[in-house]
Amino acid sequence: MPQILESPRGSCVLGGINAALAAVGRLCPIVHAGPGCCMQITAGEVLQSGGKIPYFLSGVSIPSSNMLEREVIFGGEQKLRDEIQGCLDIIDADAFFILNGCVPAIIGDDIKNVAEDFRKKGFPVYAIETPGFAGDSVLGYESAFKAFTDYLVKPSTVKQKNLVNLMGIFPYHEPFWEGNIQELTRILQELGLEVNSFFGYGQSIKNIQRSGEAALNIIVSPHLLKGTEKVYKEKFDVPSLRFSGVPIGATDTSNFVRKVGEALNLDKNLVEKVITANEKYVYYFYEQAIGKLSWKRFAVVGEANNVIGLTRFLANDYSFTPVITIVTDTLYQQEDKEQIKKEISRLEYIKPPEIIFEGDYYKVTQELKKHDITLLLGSDNEMEIAMEKGIQFLHTTFPVTERLVFNRCIAGYKGSLTLIEDLYDNL
Amino acid sequence: MAEDYRIREQRPHTYADGCGKSKNLECQFRDKKMEVMDRTFSQGLQCQEINSIGALLSLEDSVFIVHSPQGCVGCSVTSVDRYRVGQAHRGAKIYRSPRMIVTNLDQNDIIMGGEKKLKEAITLANERYSPKVIFIFASCASGIIADDIDGVATQMQRDMKAVIVPIHCEGFKSKICASGFDAVFRAISKYMLGTENIPKEEGLINLFAPTTTSYKDQVEMERMLNLLGLKANYVPFFSSLEKMRKVKAAQASTSICKVFADEFMLELDNKYGIPFSHTVMPIGLRNTDEWFLGIARAAGKEKEAKAIIKKEHKRIGPEVEQIRKRLEGKRVFICGGTGRSFAAAVLIEDFGMKLVGLETPVYDQDAQDDIEYLNKLHGDFIVDIANMQPFEQVNIVKRLKPDLFIGVPHWSARFGIPTTHVLEGKRPTMGYDGILYLGYKIADQMENAGFNRKLSKYARLPYKESWYQEDPFKYIKKV
Repeated sequence: MPQILESPRGSCVLGGINAALAAVGRLCPIVHAGPGCCMQITAGEVLQSGGKIPYFLSGVSIPSSNMLEREVIFGGEQKLRDEIQGCLDIIDADAFFILNGCVPAIIGDDIKNVAEDFRKKGFPVYAIETPGFAGDSVLGYESAFKAFTDYLVKPSTVKQKNLVNLMGIFPYHEPFWEGNIQELTRILQELGLEVNSFFGYGQSIKNIQRSGEAALNIIVSPHLLKGTEKVYKEKFDVPSLRFSGVPIGATDTSNFVRKVGEALNLDKNLVEKVITANEKYVYYFYEQAIGKLSWKRFAVVGEANNVIGLTRFLANDYSFTPVITIVTDTLYQQEDKEQIKKEISRLEYIKPPEIIFEGDYYKVTQELKKHDITLLLGSDNEMEIAMEKGIQFLHTTFPVTERLVFNRCIAGYKGSLTLIEDLYDNL
Repeated sequence: MAEDYRIREQRPHTYADGCGKSKNLECQFRDKKMEVMDRTFSQGLQCQEINSIGALLSLEDSVFIVHSPQGCVGCSVTSVDRYRVGQAHRGAKIYRSPRMIVTNLDQNDIIMGGEKKLKEAITLANERYSPKVIFIFASCASGIIADDIDGVATQMQRDMKAVIVPIHCEGFKSKICASGFDAVFRAISKYMLGTENIPKEEGLINLFAPTTTSYKDQVEMERMLNLLGLKANYVPFFSSLEKMRKVKAAQASTSICKVFADEFMLELDNKYGIPFSHTVMPIGLRNTDEWFLGIARAAGKEKEAKAIIKKEHKRIGPEVEQIRKRLEGKRVFICGGTGRSFAAAVLIEDFGMKLVGLETPVYDQDAQDDIEYLNKLHGDFIVDIANMQPFEQVNIVKRLKPDLFIGVPHWSARFGIPTTHVLEGKRPTMGYDGILYLGYKIADQMENAGFNRKLSKYARLPYKESWYQEDPFKYIKKV
């Protein structure tokens, strides 16, 4: 159950759905809710991910029924029908998704029924019933995937053995999502694979629709999309390979490449050739920056998907000293926590950091106060404590409003170079 | 629900949806023939809760409890940003974050009520920060399930030193987001002014500032008041409980934004005999004059003000003339909030530009005063009474083909036309110094539209081509 939170990281369910739709592009959210929700869910999620504004619909351009007192008393279904008709008339979208705000969910508007009426007339209108108050934006992303598998993905008995779906990087909820997806896609392409990533440049509804033809889902997260994984297996006969978080740096990325190779039974020579070429490239640069960064005792704060990779890369590959890693996800399952802890602790040379599960601003700050650190990788929320401590700070995890992020990545081989560039300090 | 709940829609002759030519609207309003309209298709609005939180988030020694699901604090990011940047501009070494706690109302609370969680949050706020003020903001969800935030506040207040201030800003109650400002000031009046009498301070002026005022703007307003021998009590932006209590000691009041603290200033006049000036936003030459004269009059310093205005005009006049040469005759479309868009419409005439279209969120008596003035300045122009609604704007802008678009640039920039903004909460836009900053900015951006021109080759808008052939106001229907 959602807890009282100080300075929460991210929006409600609607924020996550909206971000997922925005990252695909040409998918139109129809926000059935009170006035203000369009702005709130945009500002609370996508706008805190490196400052970008999604090109298609966002904030005040998102269609909304803007429910007022009248609708609270008499119901909002007619207002929603008018709104949908307007959308169909003027918005040039591939599909329309009704998002269920707190107001209609409490008064009991039947948005599913409304959507079905439009679908009967041949319009691609779908309802995502999970209401705003059901949870945070992460649940929203999961709900968007559920809607994709319920309505968009086409079952296919014929599989394309070189086609994979890359999942687990939630767009906007990770500031470097687009760059990270591009870097992992680049690496998979070197293995001769074609990649559906659903989100970002060059992707569209078509990639979601044909994801049922894929030979494999590659899920780069220790805990997200477990329901989706099951649906792909049972409904679409697509197995999944789970990798614990976004791989950062040569060690984890090469491990990632080998696992993909094994899962798809790829030519071992090709796999090793790709790994060697990329590692050579990375070390070509590292070799030119020996001793350029001073030794750091570091802390990482953020979502599991990124803090695992960040801790492991900086400790294993860059020989910094991990002191504390704070995982901010709202986690309900003990097994998820244990898995995450295991992944962070599995270090090659050095003793693992203290690992804490906490998302509340105050409690995170109190934890960080206890430790002697010289580098902090975190979000806007950790900026103040870093300034107080007078230590180096890098905006790395969500939310980030202090820097503009286009396609910059921290994942894979190339991302690790960018990350080290960013960590250079001449103080 | 608070017994004194009042939203902008309840003020006489206030309209949030509509359209037309400016001269027609002026007549209709004067003849009381304006009708209540609604849009059968619309895009997202700004809710009043966004305004309520924004107005207060920079207050010192405060904790802000938002009694809502997690999503209702999304827009606070803008105010948090302005708070952090504001600290940087004021020379702070460490940028504080506002202490904001969300009660995270969930499925259970919706059924069982969320008052227990609210009490917990208040206790947490007190334990963590021992603040002077704890604000509670209502939301759509807390409003519909009828959580008694006033009752909780009263009950918790008994054992707490911090002043607990509940604010009724339930989103679904109003489609005019400025209602959220009113809710804030009603709560300030009720809970923060204190009951004791405090002595008047000669020359102290309440300067009501919204969160979009930059530090440079504050400095300029204070400079202008100082020229009159007056001192500003700058509230509520970057202020404190102490400064709020000082409001009663002031000699007069004024506001930087027309829709900000207007009711409150009237109340201060009625209750404490503090006269006030309610004019325009001090953006542009004439507006700054009017704003300055307004507060000078209320403080009994009209003569001095006139002399200063003369001097200021002499100081910046030649530069305004230079800017005018670069901008004269250009046609402009303006979109923005009520205060800024009307102010910008006068500003552009300082530079000899012509208004062809204007979006304003509300049409009321204040707007009527502005429209009357603008009709004299610019002649007839198109008015879209809308809180943004970019789908209408793109349609109108594509027809009008203005030389310049002033306002939120995200959609019009994609047509390749030059765009700029007068809403810059981090830069100097107000008073006499602000005129020059805006003038140079407008002229430079207008003359150098390369980015937008090149962008337009690749940029996409989400609307069907057929929409641009339709009546932009086709979805505005009589209720």
